[in-house]
Amino acid sequence: MAQKQPHDGEILESMYSMLALVFILVACVELCDAATVVDVYRLIQYDISGVPFGSRLASLNHHAGSLHFSPGADLSRTVVMIPVRELNISFVKDYISQKQPLGGLLFLLPEMFRLENEGGGGSSSDVQEKQLIKNVLLELERLLIHAKMPYPVYFAFENDEIDSVLNDVKKNDVTGQPATATTGGYKLVVSTSEAKKVASPTITNIQGWLQGLKAEGDVNQLPTIAIVASYDTFGAAPALSVGSDSNGSGVVALLEIARLFSRLYSNPKTRGSYNLLFGLTSGGPYNYNGTHKWLRSFDQRLRESIDYAICLNSIGSWNDELWIHVSKPPENAYIKHIFEGISSVAEELGFKVGLKHKKINISNSRVAWEHEQFSRLRVTAATLSELSVAPELLESTGGLLDSRHFVDETAIVRSVKLVAESLARHIYGYQGKSINIFADDSSLAVNPSYIRSWLDLLSQTPRVAPFLSKNDPFIMALKKELADHTDEVNVQHEVLDGMFTFYDSVRGRLNIYQVASVTFDLLLLLALGSYLIVLFSFLVITTRGLDDLISLFRRPPSRKVKTA
Amino acid sequence: MTIFHFFNCAILTFGPHAVYYSATPLSEYDTLGTSIKAALVYLGTALVKLVCLATFLKVSETDYFDPYQELLKALIGFIDVAGLYFALTQLTHRNISQNHKFQAVGLGWAFADSVLHRLAPLWVGARGLEFTWDYILQGLEANANLVLSISLAALGSLMWLRKNKPKTLIPIIYACAGIVATMPSTTSYLRRGLGWQLPKVVGFELFTSLVMAFISWQLFAACQRPSS
Repeated sequence: MAQKQPHDGEILESMYSMLALVFILVACVELCDAATVVDVYRLIQYDISGVPFGSRLASLNHHAGSLHFSPGADLSRTVVMIPVRELNISFVKDYISQKQPLGGLLFLLPEMFRLENEGGGGSSSDVQEKQLIKNVLLELERLLIHAKMPYPVYFAFENDEIDSVLNDVKKNDVTGQPATATTGGYKLVVSTSEAKKVASPTITNIQGWLQGLKAEGDVNQLPTIAIVASYDTFGAAPALSVGSDSNGSGVVALLEIARLFSRLYSNPKTRGSYNLLFGLTSGGPYNYNGTHKWLRSFDQRLRESIDYAICLNSIGSWNDELWIHVSKPPENAYIKHIFEGISSVAEELGFKVGLKHKKINISNSRVAWEHEQFSRLRVTAATLSELSVAPELLESTGGLLDSRHFVDETAIVRSVKLVAESLARHIYGYQGKSINIFADDSSLAVNPSYIRSWLDLLSQTPRVAPFLSKNDPFIMALKKELADHTDEVNVQHEVLDGMFTFYDSVRGRLNIYQVASVTFDLLLLLALGSYLIVLFSFLVITTRGLDDLISLFRRPPSRKVKTA
Repeated sequence: MTIFHFFNCAILTFGPHAVYYSATPLSEYDTLGTSIKAALVYLGTALVKLVCLATFLKVSETDYFDPYQELLKALIGFIDVAGLYFALTQLTHRNISQNHKFQAVGLGWAFADSVLHRLAPLWVGARGLEFTWDYILQGLEANANLVLSISLAALGSLMWLRKNKPKTLIPIIYACAGIVATMPSTTSYLRRGLGWQLPKVVGFELFTSLVMAFISWQLFAACQRPSS
């Protein structure tokens, strides 16, 4: 028996593999029969303290329709396909505000938003079109994020196949035939299970230290300057929220600053007497929850040793003006010091830096800027940003339209120069002197190709924190990059707390089937039936004669007569 | 709805065989056994054909029409004729008349062909949500194939079973048999060599099958006359 059992197991195992093979084959057969398969990205589904927002359904199986439907048509079993180019925002607004039933919504984004699609530029008409789409998308995203829709909402990219489907659907709708089971048309199917809650979403902070040079016999702790940028995003479609500007630009700038200072600090002669702390924080869209946790994890002495912190936020698409946001009044000596240091460098570089003061309200849970988390713990901090006013909750967090096309790398290069130069002057005590440490053609010049390559990577990586696992390749890449430039790197995993609940299934595959109507099949059945009857009669007549055929039909009644 | 479509296509593909069997005297003389035997012979022939194809043919990655390969394929296609010869001459099933024998054999032959080549794609494809005309066309093709098979069987029975046929008709019979036997190669040439679309090819098949059926019917009738 003891010998037999493993044998049985083997047979079972081989059976299982056979079964698996059969299932795979069947699955292939089921998958391959669609006319068109496209990647689709679902609208985010989340709750804020139990109040539901976003798209509440994931699976989709309805006929396709377009915006050209006849007025008063019942759309509860129709997926309306809307190209963003010709989006009529009032329609969407009406439907959402009146809570009208819809089978689903499918928004078609222009091809240029595709993540793999890089390289901006183009003619002037392109620029105009971009601006138009930007405005529409901005409004659409704001609308969708703050609405609750009891049907699936998906985003897809335009391509030839979808365009031809859309044209067919439009043609049908214009002739006044609504897409239903009786007229055929197209069926859109996304087969997924219902979205599940993301259990205890984690946020990951990464910090790197560059140790300063202590003078001999100095027992005091060295002062620290922190450079911080939050790296995660939030947007209508989590799988498309790459946030090139907010806050990819800040992350890129931080990495480049770390690289520049690591070169300075690697030589004992040029090592400054300040510790530099680089922090890549998560949870930015959620009141900078990650920054909060990160600062809490520091011990009191360390926190007190921070001279000041500079937070980088959205610095990738400005022309000639940047803003420094602070929570302490501008008359404060430290703030004055920081501002003067930065604005004098900005003047040399040929642009303006403005100062904005916004008091923090401890009783309000909303944290609009990252530096406010520092200020709440009485650490001097400022945020450098192109935004002149504080964004609302879940706005300017790197959503749909925040793509590579709208980010200018030269803006980032200038920001890096600004921050690095002012930091260096502060560290080495050259304040007020016009000395160029990071001159363009020196060995310490800002490297545009480094910035470009990181910006490209960030612009292809969706980074919504609840959907980034602890060991996501992107987080590992950030950690490795920071480790290359700093002495000591720590990764901190925290649970995102607060009022947010997220649901998974952020992307799916949309199958588009061209279906025939039931009416067509009925007509076909009728035609086939008559064909077979004609064939039967023809064969009977040719082989047995007409009389035989007639007698075939006559016999039953004659029998009845007999029995009667 | 999709099951409905599958049902329709299945009727179109297999219905005519059943109708042919029940409408003609085949059903009265209970020739089902002959048909089944013919179908079994078809299975054996298909197996031999497959082995030959696998042995002698290169796997073509492209849809390019290669004359040499196609010629080889046509030659292998003549294995069908050998199988039909076997079915017509070697199979003896009771005392079935020659007249019914070729019909029964042709019917079994065509039915086995339909089941083997069309049932599985139909089951997999026509049940899907996606609608295409392919399965309806395929059903029409099955009809053409039924007519061609019966014509070929009729010509075969004329060639091999009937002894006293008019001398003048013999070359015509052989020519017609040749045309019918090379039909698969012809359609393959039309589809790949000339790039015809499926509807056009199916239309051609239907047309030629009807023409060949008419010719073979006339030939059969002409051969029957002196004896009767």
